Amino acid sequence: MSIDPANDSKLAPEANDATLGDVDRWIEQLKKCEPLSEADVEMLCDKAREVLCQENNVQPVRNPVTVCGDIHGQFHDLMELFKIGGDVPDMNYLFMGDYVDRGYHSVETVSLLVAMKLRYPNRITILRGNHESRQITQVYGFYDECLRKYGSANVWKHFTNLFDYFPLTALIEDRIFCLHGGLSPSIDSLDHVRTLDRVQEVPHEGPMCDLLWSDPDDRCGWGISPRGAGYTFGQDISETFNHANGLSLTARAHQLVMEGFNWAHDGDVVTIFSAPNYCYRCGNQAAILEVDDTMNQVFLQFDPAPREGEPVIARRTPDYFL
Amino acid sequence: MQTENQVNDLYPIAVLIDELKHDEITYRLNALERLSTIALALGPERTRDELIPFLDESIDDEDEVLSALADQLGNFVDYVGGPEYAHVLLSPLENLAATEETVVRDKAVDSLNKVCICLSQEQLEQYFVPLVQRLSTAEWFTSRASSAGLYCAAYSQSENPAVKVSLRQSFSHLCHDEAPMVRRPAATNCAKFVFLVTKQEAIDEFIPLFNSLSNDDQDSVRLLSFDIMVSLAEVLKSDSEIRHYLLQPLRSFVSDSSWRTRYMVAANFVKLAKVVGPSLIKDELIKPFVLLMKDTEQEVRRAIATQIPGFCELLDKRIVLEEIIPVIQELINDPAQHVRAALGMNIGALAPQLGKEKTTEYLLPMFLELLKDENPEVRLNIISKLEVVNKVVGIELLSQSLLPAIVTLAEDKQWRVRLAIIDYIPLLAQQLGVEFFNEKMGNLCMSWLEDHVYSIREAAIKNLRKLTEIFGLEWATETIIPKFLAMRSHPNYLYRMTTIFAISEIAPALNAEVIEKQILPTLEQLVNDPIPNIRFNVAKAFEVLKPVLAAGGDSTVYEQQIIPLLEQLTKDNDPDVQYFATQALEQTND
Repeated sequence: MSIDPANDSKLAPEANDATLGDVDRWIEQLKKCEPLSEADVEMLCDKAREVLCQENNVQPVRNPVTVCGDIHGQFHDLMELFKIGGDVPDMNYLFMGDYVDRGYHSVETVSLLVAMKLRYPNRITILRGNHESRQITQVYGFYDECLRKYGSANVWKHFTNLFDYFPLTALIEDRIFCLHGGLSPSIDSLDHVRTLDRVQEVPHEGPMCDLLWSDPDDRCGWGISPRGAGYTFGQDISETFNHANGLSLTARAHQLVMEGFNWAHDGDVVTIFSAPNYCYRCGNQAAILEVDDTMNQVFLQFDPAPREGEPVIARRTPDYFL
Repeated sequence: MQTENQVNDLYPIAVLIDELKHDEITYRLNALERLSTIALALGPERTRDELIPFLDESIDDEDEVLSALADQLGNFVDYVGGPEYAHVLLSPLENLAATEETVVRDKAVDSLNKVCICLSQEQLEQYFVPLVQRLSTAEWFTSRASSAGLYCAAYSQSENPAVKVSLRQSFSHLCHDEAPMVRRPAATNCAKFVFLVTKQEAIDEFIPLFNSLSNDDQDSVRLLSFDIMVSLAEVLKSDSEIRHYLLQPLRSFVSDSSWRTRYMVAANFVKLAKVVGPSLIKDELIKPFVLLMKDTEQEVRRAIATQIPGFCELLDKRIVLEEIIPVIQELINDPAQHVRAALGMNIGALAPQLGKEKTTEYLLPMFLELLKDENPEVRLNIISKLEVVNKVVGIELLSQSLLPAIVTLAEDKQWRVRLAIIDYIPLLAQQLGVEFFNEKMGNLCMSWLEDHVYSIREAAIKNLRKLTEIFGLEWATETIIPKFLAMRSHPNYLYRMTTIFAISEIAPALNAEVIEKQILPTLEQLVNDPIPNIRFNVAKAFEVLKPVLAAGGDSTVYEQQIIPLLEQLTKDNDPDVQYFATQALEQTND
C-alpha cells in the first residue's frame, strides 16, 4: 500500500456523518465535473448503501417520471440531458443502468447520480446495468479511470461494492416495467424477480444475469445471445410476459439505437439509449422518455452537448472506421 | 543534529525511494509527484550526490514516468542548493532530451530552458553550451531535434560574442539537417531566434536560412517557416527591405502546392498584415487574401474567413467594398458548411466599418441568406452576432428586415437556436414598442412556455420577467399573467410546473395587490396538487413572495394566508415537500 497522508483519516474515529448540506455541496461540485475526494466517495457510498438496500428488486416508481437509458461516462451529455428534461429534484428520473465505462467521465457521472440518489431518494431511481459490475469495469475503462484520477483502486472498490445494492428493475405505476437488459427464460413473473438475492456481483448466467444482459429480437422464442450472456427474446415472449403481469410496456436500455429510442415487438418493448454520439463517434441521437401524470408518453431526442475548446473538425470520420 | 528522531523522520522517505523502484507504474508516478518532498528531506547535498545520480540511472523507464521526471527536474534548482549547483540537473535532463518519445523530450527541453536562466556565465560556457553542441551533433535525430529548442535560451543568456557566433553557426547546421524531424523544430525556433540577433545578422544569416526552409521539399517544414517570415518582417521594419527580401517568398506561400501551407498563411494572415504595414498591405496583400478566399481547399477558405474582420480593419472602406465584399458574397453559398459557419461568425464585425448605409446594402442581405442556411451552426453563429449589426443599423431597420426570419427560427428544430432567439427578444421588444410586439411576437413568447425542452421553458419564463420590466406591470397583468396562470389546471404536470416557475420568477417584478388577487388563489389550488414536485415548488414560491408582500407594508396576507399553507406542507407525506416547506418557514422567520 502506498503511504498517502490522505489515508490517515481512515484511522480517525468514524465521526463523519454526511449532512444534507454536505451532499448538496457534493452535488454542486460534481455538476462542475470535479470529482470528489477519496474520503468523500467512501462516505457517499456508505450512506448510499443504506438507502439502496431498502429498495426492492422491482422498485415501485410513481409517475410523473423521466426514463433514461445508458450514459456511459459521457458526463457533459448527462448535463445536456438535464437541460432537456429539467433538473433533479424538480423532475423525477429513472435511470436504467450503465453509468460507467467507455466515456471519459465515469467517475463524475456515477458519483453525481449516486449523490442525487442519496439526497433525493424519492425523486430519482438508479437501476443496475451490466456495466455496474467488477468484471466488466476492469475491461471497459471505469477501473483505469479510477486508478488514473485517484492513484489507487479504492474508489473503484467503493463503487463496485455499492453496485451490488442497486435495484435490478423498476415498475412505474404497475404498468411500465423498466430494466437494463431484458427478459429471462427462468423468470415469468415480477414476483419471481422480487425473490432474487441481488446483493452480489452480476453472475455469468441465471435470472439476474439475464435481466441485465438480454436483448429483444425479431425471431420468436428464446435465442442464444451473441453477447455471450443473457438471451434474445421474441415478440411472443414479451407479449406473454406483459400480459401475465398486467403490463402495458417493457422499457429497457442496453443497445445503441440511432434515433435514441426504438420500438420493438409491436409496441410491447421500447429501447431507450441516452448517450448521444456514443463513444464520441457513433453519430447517434440520444433520447429520454417522459411519462407524465396521465401516463402520457413523450420521447425527447437530443444531440451531444457542444464542447468548448474542442477543435472544429470539418472532415468527419468516414463510416468505415466505425 | 543527526538524532534518532531524524532517522525516524527519514523512514517515509525511504519508502518513497522504494516506490520509485516499484514494479507498478502508478506507484512510481506517485512517488515522482512527491519528488520535491524527498529532496527537501534529504537536503541539498544528498540530493546532489545521491538522488540526482539515482534518477539519472533510472532513465530506462516508461514514457509516462520519464515525462513526469523531466517535468519535475525543471523546478529542482532550489532543492539542489540554488543556482550555483543548478548544473548538476543538466546531465539527467540531457539524457531525457535524447529519448525517443516526443512528449518526454519536449518536457526535458522546457526544463533545460528553465534551468538555463539560473546559470552563471561560467556554468553556461562550461556546461550548457557544450550540452547544446553535443545534442546538435548527436548521431540519432531525436537529440538534434531537441537541441533546436535550447538555442534561444542559451543565446539570450550568453554575453560572450564568440559563444554567440558559434551558437548561430551550429543553429544554421540544424536548419539544413538531413532529417525533416530536425528541420521542423529548427524552423519553429528560428522564428524566435530572429528576435535575439541584430538586424544585420538577421539579414546576413537568417534570411538565407529562411529561404532554404521556405523552399524545403517537405510541406511540414515550409508551413512552419511562415512564422519566420512574420518575425523577419517585424525585425526588418522598413518597407523597402521587406519588399526586397520577403515579397517573393510571400507570393510563393500563397500559391504553394500544399494546402496545409496555404492554410498556415490563411490562419495567420492578420498577424502578417499587422507587421508589414499599410503600404505593403495595399500593394501586395489584397490579392493574396482574395486568392485564399477562393482557394480550392475548404479548410483554407474557413481559415481565411476568420481573418476577414481583422484584415478589413486595416483596409480602406472603399477597398473593402470593391475587393472583399464581392468575394464574401460568393462565399455565402460555399458548399462547405464550416466555411459558411465561419462567415456567419465573422462578417457581422464588418458593420461598424461599413456604416449604416453600406451595411444595409451589402451585409443585411447576406445575413438573411445565412439565417436561412440549412445548417444550424451557421444560423446560430449569425444570431449570436446580430448585436454588432444592431448597433450600426439600429434595431428598427434590423427588425424590419429580419423579423420574418426570426419568427421562422423561433420554431427551429435545434433548441439552442430557439434559445438564442429568446435571448434576443427583450432587445427587440424594447425597440418595437408594446403594440407592434403584442401583434407580432406575443403569441410566440407564450408558445415557448409549452416547449418540450426544459431549458427553453426556463428561458421563456425569464424572458417574460424581462418583458414585464420593459412593458410594465399593467401590461403583464393583462397579457401574460392570465395566460400562464391558466396553465395551472392542465392535466400534464409539466404545464402546472411552468405556472409555478413563472410565478417565482416574475413575482419580484409585481406588487402586493397583484399577488393577492391573481397569484395567491393559484398557489392555494396547487398546494393540494397530487404531484409532490408541484407541492414543494409551491413552498419555494411562497419563499419568493414574502419580501414582495412585505414591501407592500402589510404582513397580514402572509401571516394569515401563506403561513398556514406552509405549515400544512411541513406535514406532507413526501419528505422533499416537508424539507422545502420547512426551509421556506425558517427563511421567513428570519
